[in-house]
Amino acid sequence: MKFARAAMAAGLLAACASQTASAATGNVLFNGTITATCTITINSNGTMTVSSNLQSLSSHNAGGSAGSAQVDTTGGVSLSVDPVTTTTVPASDTTATTWTPTFATSGAQTIAETGTATALTVPGTSTVAVNLAGTKSGTNRFSAGNYQATVTLRCE
Amino acid sequence: MLAAGLIAALSPIAATGQSMTPMRGEVRSFTDAFAVRVFPGNPYNQRIRVEVHVYDQDFQPVAARITPSAFLLAGQASRPVLVVVPFDGANERKVRICTESIPFPSEQTQIRAQICGKFFGHRRF
Repeated sequence: MKFARAAMAAGLLAACASQTASAATGNVLFNGTITATCTITINSNGTMTVSSNLQSLSSHNAGGSAGSAQVDTTGGVSLSVDPVTTTTVPASDTTATTWTPTFATSGAQTIAETGTATALTVPGTSTVAVNLAGTKSGTNRFSAGNYQATVTLRCE
Repeated sequence: MLAAGLIAALSPIAATGQSMTPMRGEVRSFTDAFAVRVFPGNPYNQRIRVEVHVYDQDFQPVAARITPSAFLLAGQASRPVLVVVPFDGANERKVRICTESIPFPSEQTQIRAQICGKFFGHRRF
């Protein structure tokens, strides 16, 4: 009887030993979708100064400075500036002024100074210089007082 | 009432530091309006005032229901804004939803940051 049990156990062990452990493998997939994003951070506003002939009030003039903004984007967006509609001028200035906003970028993507919408195709951080120029024609001149204008920088 | 009949096909994840997300979307609706939920974000460290506006393709204002349309947003924060756009009898409508903020007032040349998303609503019967 003992012999039979031992023989049976040995047989089972031998049967198990001949079996190899089967390892299954599987792939786990990861998907991610990044949609277009854009963040504008205004670093500083601009300053305009008047030209010697008093017909230009611009951030390009001597002593003036461009506004600065930082744009972080995934690409696939466009950058533009709107025509200036909101201005404050001194009461003594009663003549028409033509306002021209422009922008240029450096950093992740370089865009030469322009006033038209431009695609941002390169992902990363770009620094935007925003300029504004007001001009008067004919005999019209800028007068003493405070001027203020708002430029809309749009990322869409 | 209206919101119950809308299908909001967009379910973005709010992300800190984004000025607005998502910036693209396509929505199908079985009612006379479609809804989009956007997440304006404040990338600054200080609180700013944020306004949300809806424009058509020619940047003319659209009479959409925006909840809330103007609010103060803490630094590095974002919050959901629900925009319900009427089809106005059309079967589809393209709109821009724009987030605007002016963080630095009282200087000579102010820069207004505007982030606009483009959204396409389809009406299904």
